[in-house]
Amino acid sequence: MAIIDAIDGFRLMEALMLLTVFTGLVGLLFRRNLFLKVMGMDVMGTGVISFFVLVAARSGFRTPILDGTVAFPGGNDWADPIPQAVILTAVVIGLSIQALLLVAITRLASVDPSLDGGQLDQLGRD
Amino acid sequence: MSPLSLVSWNPSGSLLTVAWLLLPFLAAFLAALVPRLARPLILLVVATTLAMALAAWQGWLPADLLLLGPLGVRLQLDPLASPLLLLTGLVHGAVLLEGWGRELEKPFLLLLLLLQGGIHSAIVASDLISIYVAQEVVGISTFLLLVQGNRAPQLWIGLRYLLIGNSVMLLYLLGAALVYREQGSFALAGLERSSGMALALLLLALFTKAEVFISGLWLPRTNAVAPAAVSALISGGVVCAGLAPLLRIAATVESAGSLLRWIGLASALLGLIFALAERRVARLLAWSTISQMGMVLVVPAVGGLYALAHGLAKAALFLVCERLPAVSLDGWRSQAFPWRHGAPLLLASLSIAGAPPLLGFLAKEQLGLALSGPPAGLLPGAALPAAVLLLSVGTAAVYARLWRLPGNDAATAQAQPGSPGALLLVAALLLLNLSPWALEGWRTLVAQGSSEALLKSAGLLLAGLGLQRLWPKGPDGARLPDLEGLDDLLGGAVLVGAALVLLLGR
Repeated sequence: MAIIDAIDGFRLMEALMLLTVFTGLVGLLFRRNLFLKVMGMDVMGTGVISFFVLVAARSGFRTPILDGTVAFPGGNDWADPIPQAVILTAVVIGLSIQALLLVAITRLASVDPSLDGGQLDQLGRD
Repeated sequence: MSPLSLVSWNPSGSLLTVAWLLLPFLAAFLAALVPRLARPLILLVVATTLAMALAAWQGWLPADLLLLGPLGVRLQLDPLASPLLLLTGLVHGAVLLEGWGRELEKPFLLLLLLLQGGIHSAIVASDLISIYVAQEVVGISTFLLLVQGNRAPQLWIGLRYLLIGNSVMLLYLLGAALVYREQGSFALAGLERSSGMALALLLLALFTKAEVFISGLWLPRTNAVAPAAVSALISGGVVCAGLAPLLRIAATVESAGSLLRWIGLASALLGLIFALAERRVARLLAWSTISQMGMVLVVPAVGGLYALAHGLAKAALFLVCERLPAVSLDGWRSQAFPWRHGAPLLLASLSIAGAPPLLGFLAKEQLGLALSGPPAGLLPGAALPAAVLLLSVGTAAVYARLWRLPGNDAATAQAQPGSPGALLLVAALLLLNLSPWALEGWRTLVAQGSSEALLKSAGLLLAGLGLQRLWPKGPDGARLPDLEGLDDLLGGAVLVGAALVLLLGR
């Protein structure tokens, strides 16, 4: 860590996480297989969650829990608890939505085992 | 003055609001344990929502609540939320009435309660994270409602809805994180100073949820496959969940106003062109929803009333059309509709087209009045009202395709019984004119000269009828591009996102 300047490290991490989101988006767009599309969405979700954790870590890395054994520290290197708390909700929601999507995909596999998005699109047409 | 100092703290009022928000979820638990109670509980939730809508309009409760400290949950039960709450309450009431005597799929009523809870939260939530959570609750319940029945087309349409909805909500979260990094808070008020990138990501997701422009293209196939009750819920309830945050952003971020106006106009035009060429009723109604949601965004300040009038009429139309034998518009003219179907159909479609004395007329007039003020943005003063007038003629032309005088004869005697839900909604379109939501508007209208407005409305309807007659007949639907595949929808979302980033980049 000493080698990389702290601010540059953040910039680098930020760029990598946004790249993860972008990669997921590309997968979502260009994969024809429905299962891989959902995986692409998951990769996007991973990128977004890491980004929140990174935003929380700007003020420091220490877990923001006071357990009473340590005297209140004067330092301000606590991680910001708000984005962490918020993203916990998003993690749970993302997990449940993925579960629902995968159940629907399992059912649809009996219609088209190749799970090709273009083929399945015929289902909604008249 | 800090925005926080405006927040009034009234413990009893905030308790009432929070209890009302929790009620649908508690009711859902109770209804799962005692299924007999489901319908009375939905009725109770609808009644409390209507009461809360009135309280919000009259300012009886604290309009701004901040729970759990300055970084916590912010709820706004204000006049902006009120018409949308009224709309979702009435539509849920109508759907309940519609299924009162029928045997329903088992979890339908539970899902209805969950959906209600989600929509209420989405309408009053006023910080980015509460909005996110509420949108996802609405999305999941809508998905489960869509896949009821377990047939393959329903599964596919539901899956599409959830996949697209969740993908754009992930981008929304990214936008929220950017806002927090820049402003140190998730409050909507901070959006004004946030970067264009963050705003673009948030708007992209909300456009999809509010069924606007290219982002709303998921709607026609969804409405064509979904049962009428679910379609009614989508166009009268679910859409409010996306509209409310959009209207809030428009009220907070001044620089977004002209962008929203342009996108609204584009959405109105896109929906109209496809609606005029459409041959199936459910899809025509869906295209018209995309068009009307665009009109809501043209003047967000009167958007609530406009959305109310549109949502009531559109839900009624879905409920009536399910009971008609014809789903294709080709044989529409040769069909005979009995009064019990024909009258609600005619009244609801006349309301959206803007015929007095229905609520849609007042909404259109308010939109016109709001536009006749000093010009804003790039357009010369008269261009915007003229564009809106032309789009209104187009709307009348779309609904002229549905107009048909009802009549009773031998052929109609065996038709299905009338739709009680649609009757309730159409009655609301008439009676709400006497409610506090509309009375002020009528007073302004009369003060401005009502005969002129009546003449304009008559001319508009006639012009619409003429346009519909002149519009080329034939299999036009085939000539317009099909933009509704899953990949088209995802690509469209990325396209809209990129355009927003470019437009808002500063």
